[in-house]
This record gives sequence, C-alpha cells and structure tokens, in this order.
Amino acid sequence: MKKDYTIEVSADNNFSVLNRIINVLNRRRVRIKQLVAHEDEHDFRKGGATMLLHTTPELIEKVKHQLEKLIEVESANYYEGSEVYMELKNNQRVA
Amino acid sequence: MDALLTKNKKLTTSTAEPKKQISGSEALLRCLVAEGVDTLFGYPGGAIMPVYDALYSYSDQLKHILVRHEQGAIHAAQGYARVSGKMGVAMATSGPGAANLVTGLADALIDSTPVVCITGQVAEHLLGTDAFQEMDVINTTLPVTKWNVQISKAGDIAEQVAKAFYISRSGRPGPVVIDITKNAQFEMIDDFSYEVCKSVRTYSPKPILDHSTVEEAADIINAAKRPYILCGQGVLLSNAQDELLAVAEKANIPIASTLLGLSAVPVNHSLYVGYLGMHGNYGPNILTNECDVLIAVGMRFDDRVTGNVNKYAKQAKVIHIELDKAEINKIITADVAVHADAKEALTALLPLIAVNKHHDWFQKFREAERKEHEKVIQFDIYPVTESLKMSEVVFELAEQTKGEAILVTDVGQHQMVASRYYPFKHPRTNVTSGGAGTMGFALPAAIGAALAQPEKQVVAIIGDGGFQMTVQELGTIMQYNIPVKIIILNNNFLGMVRQWQQLFFESRYSFTEMANPDFIKLSEAYKIPALKVEHRSRLNAAIHNLLNIPGPFLLEVVVEKEQNVFPMVPTGAGVAEILLEAHGTRH
Repeated sequence: MKKDYTIEVSADNNFSVLNRIINVLNRRRVRIKQLVAHEDEHDFRKGGATMLLHTTPELIEKVKHQLEKLIEVESANYYEGSEVYMELKNNQRVA
Repeated sequence: MDALLTKNKKLTTSTAEPKKQISGSEALLRCLVAEGVDTLFGYPGGAIMPVYDALYSYSDQLKHILVRHEQGAIHAAQGYARVSGKMGVAMATSGPGAANLVTGLADALIDSTPVVCITGQVAEHLLGTDAFQEMDVINTTLPVTKWNVQISKAGDIAEQVAKAFYISRSGRPGPVVIDITKNAQFEMIDDFSYEVCKSVRTYSPKPILDHSTVEEAADIINAAKRPYILCGQGVLLSNAQDELLAVAEKANIPIASTLLGLSAVPVNHSLYVGYLGMHGNYGPNILTNECDVLIAVGMRFDDRVTGNVNKYAKQAKVIHIELDKAEINKIITADVAVHADAKEALTALLPLIAVNKHHDWFQKFREAERKEHEKVIQFDIYPVTESLKMSEVVFELAEQTKGEAILVTDVGQHQMVASRYYPFKHPRTNVTSGGAGTMGFALPAAIGAALAQPEKQVVAIIGDGGFQMTVQELGTIMQYNIPVKIIILNNNFLGMVRQWQQLFFESRYSFTEMANPDFIKLSEAYKIPALKVEHRSRLNAAIHNLLNIPGPFLLEVVVEKEQNVFPMVPTGAGVAEILLEAHGTRH
C-alpha cells in the first residue's frame, strides 16, 4: 500500500549530488511529489534535499539504505506523511 | 595588475631555493606512484595528451599497456584487480573515449571490483559548450560508478585522487572515475604533496559489528539440523576463506558457491557441495529449499541465484552476513542480519559455534549429486556424441592444469560449463563477468590477469560471439607478448540465446546463428600461434600445446552446434524446479 513519506537527505554539497539522489529514486521508480534542495546556511560545503515521496513502506526503507550508500550522503531519514515535509519546507523558507 | 605581478614575483624570489614546479599531469602520475600503481591500461586522445606526455618520463615507474579500445582498458584493469586484490587503473580521453568505459564501469560496479578510471576532459572554459569530444562524463558515469569527480584545478588533484583510491578499494569495492579538465593537466603547481586518504566525512566503509547479531546467528546455527552456507564474492574480497572454512568445518556445514564466490573454497574440499544458480549444480539448488538455516556470506541474492524469490528458501531461517547495508533485506528478508565484513563476522562467530555433525543432511547432497551425474555430468564429460562438447574441453583443461590455472571466462554457455567443471583450487583464480554479464569481457580481462600474476597460467575460455566483441585486443597481446592462453569454444551460435529460443521460443532461432571468420588466420595475422580442433582424438594434444608452447596461444575448438547447458532453472521457476533435462533435448 503506497503512502506519502517525507525523506530528509543530508549530504556534501558537491556538483551532481542531487543527480545521484534523484537517480536512486528513478531507478526504483519512486514517485517524487515535491522536492526542495538547499545548501547549508552556515557551511556551503554541506547541503541536502527534502522530498515528499509516494511509495510503499518496504521500498522507502530500501531506498533509505540505497541513498545512504551514496558516498556524499551523510544520512537519509524518513517520516510517514507530508506534515514533516511541509514543516521542513517552511523552515527552509523555500517556496 | 602591476601590483599583483610584483607580489607574485616577491613570492617566488623570496624563497631561498624555489620549489620545482610540476604540471597537474605530473602530479597525477606522482599520485599513482604513491598509491602503489605500477600498471595502467589506456588509450590516448586529445583531452588526455598532457598526461600521456608526462607519462613518457614515467615509463620506468608506470607500465602503460596500450589497448586497442577503451573497453579493453577497463576490462583489463578489472582482470588485473580481480586476481591480485590490487587497484586496477584505466585511462582514456574525453567524449567517446570515456563513453567506451561505461560497460566496464557497470560491470565493475555490480561485481564489486576496485578500479580507478582517469578520463581527460575539455578545458574548464569549454565545459557545457558542446566542444569537440566533450561529453558530460560525470552524469554519464554517475549510475555506473561508486563515486566520480571532476577536477578542474591542478591543486586539487592530489586530494581528489587520494579520495578516489580510498573510496574505490574500501568497504564494498567499486569503480571510481576521475575526470580531469585539460587546463588542470597543463596547470603548473609548486606545492605538490600526497597524503593517502583515510576517511571521508560522509562515508563509513566499515560498519561496527554488533556482537548481539553474531550471538543470535550462532544460536540459530547451533540448533540447526540442516544448515547451509552460501559463499559469495564477499568472502574473497575480505580474504575470509580460512575463517569461512573454520566455521563450516567446526559445525560440519555444507558450502555452495555463487558464480563470483567460486575459488573461495577448493572444489575438492569435503564440505564443498557445488555451484549455485540458474545453471548451477542440482543439489545446491534444490536443497536450498530443504535447509532449515541458510547462512549467506558476502552475497547479494542475485536473481540468477534465487530464481523466483517467492519460492526461495521459505522454510529456512536466513542469516545474512553482508558488508553492504543496502543489500540486507533488499531481495531476501534476513531473520538475522550481521552487518559486517565477512572476515570480522566469521572470526567472531567461530568461538560461538558448537562442534556438530550433519551426516544425513550431507547424504542428501550426495544423492542429488548422483542424480545429476547420472542425468547430466556423465554425458558432459564422457560424451557419446560424435561432435565435441564444451564440457569435455573444460574437463580436459582441468586435467592438464590440475586446477592450478587462473580461469577467465566470457559470458554464455561456455561460462556456465567452465564454472561447473573447472576445479578451482586457489582464491582469486576465477575471473568472470557475473552481475552485468558482459560479452567481450574475457579477452581483455585475461590480459590484466596475466600481467598481474605473471607466474600463473591464465586461460581465457570464450565463445565465438563474445570473442568477436573485443577481438581487437589480440593486438595488445601481440604488442606486449602477453602469455594469455585463449580457447574459443566455437559453435557458430550465440549459444545461450539459442538454447532459450529452443526451449522457450519454439526453436525459432532468431538471429543467433553466426558466420564466423577464420579464427586461426585471424590469430596468425596478430602473430599469435593458433590451432583448430574438430575431433576428439586431437583435443588432448591440442590443449597440451596450448599450455606448453611459450607465450600467447589460441585454440579454436569446434563444438556441437546445439548443445544445451543443464541443469537449468527456467525463468520464473523456483530453485527446486531446476531441470536436469528437457524433453527432446540431447545432452
């Protein structure tokens, strides 16, 4: 049963890191409903992406580990539903 | 501007002994030397010319092998890495040169091979302008590399190369691409120093072993009546052969191997029961569905091993010892996941394992082996057909090499036959393309293997289809007189596809029959002695010549046109549904 999940990915802010993250999701055919990517306010060398995904409980867990396998990715944490996404998105002040 | 020039002048003249400036290209080569690289495989071109120019002065430290196609370079680097455990290094120019590496990168990624590829790139100011031979190498190779990086400043070369080598060889190994713009190759720097990379902030290659998972695994193993070990390449990569055998011997557990796990356990070991997978041995496949505990070590439950996952080992408790966390629970859910390096996990497991005997359980493997022998093996090794069979060629090679050779195989029927019948004795003597199934892999990979292990005999077994995919590497063998022993098993067919067409597509042989060139003349054109065998009576002597005439040698063996490889797990079937024969199919 597919549901909405918010996934928060922290990573080094290198060229192509966003492509790597998206690539993992594309390969697993996970639907991205919304996405915000950002660089760290205090350290431009760090950044991340927050995404609203629509997928199954099994796949979100597998995708988390595949994202964390990316060299530049520090962590990938997910939460059920879209509330956390909206909160994070607002905090990041990104429309 | 004048003020800046004056300042720079002061900087260079204020030092008593000015440091010798070196180019980014030379910095790169110094990095390779510092990493212990002594051999690299490559092909020059416009965007990598400064590096090749620097290489001219480094030929005493770095042996460069000029291949005939960049795909040959990366497969050779893979072969080099697979048999030696050292890093394989390949080099190519921008655009098409880099693009030709992609197949090998995908192959190295799925088969966990530590390879670093250096690609030249157009100058930084031309990036994204569709310049001559410009290609977005980073995004092209992104899905097929463990990591990649573009360097546009000479001053970044040392740090990024160190990082690349560290990432490629640590944890689960994999390929890394370093794309260096031409301006960075030319740029002069005066403060070169090299420090080996020991960590990357966001990357944890070595998990901390959770001992409770090992204890849990030990309890399950100790209570098991029919435990069963599946040995994957992770055992070889962590050099855990001895630890695996120690655990298996103490608890008396049968061991089967995946395709890439072959050679981790000597085939003649009493606990070794055979080879897993679609064309693996009968017992190891069907008994997967009878064991009560499945202990998977350093393997990823590839679909060629599991068949239909919904019919795979449903009765068993699964213990998965695996370094790559993303592999745990990816295909098969583990009852106990030991997230660790195989050597570390098995070392921790050994003292917790009770001495045990599983006589009745082994008896089942022996019964299955008898059945396979009766239905398949006896006809494969001692055929009654007039034409030669692939299996008897492998068997004769096994007899004459006593299992001491490094076997490099391509992809297809011959690969399955060789993997079934070659008696691997020593670790890292099996080189093949597993996950990617890359036809054309074997010839260049054998070049790399032969250069990495010059004291060993390297035999490449290749089908007539795969041979023609990278046949140009005969030129590399000729130029450097690399003593690769090549056996072409020629059935004038793309044999595995033809087998499937016969069994599952009503024998509609759609574009699988091949008209082949005269392989002997072709080989001789490259000054490689060659011999063709069409009759059984000449096979023994021909293989003797292949192995004993110094230098490279090519042996073409004309084999039965429509031989099928059995056993076989058909697509969609479970491992217990493995076929020993098909109706109307001769062995």
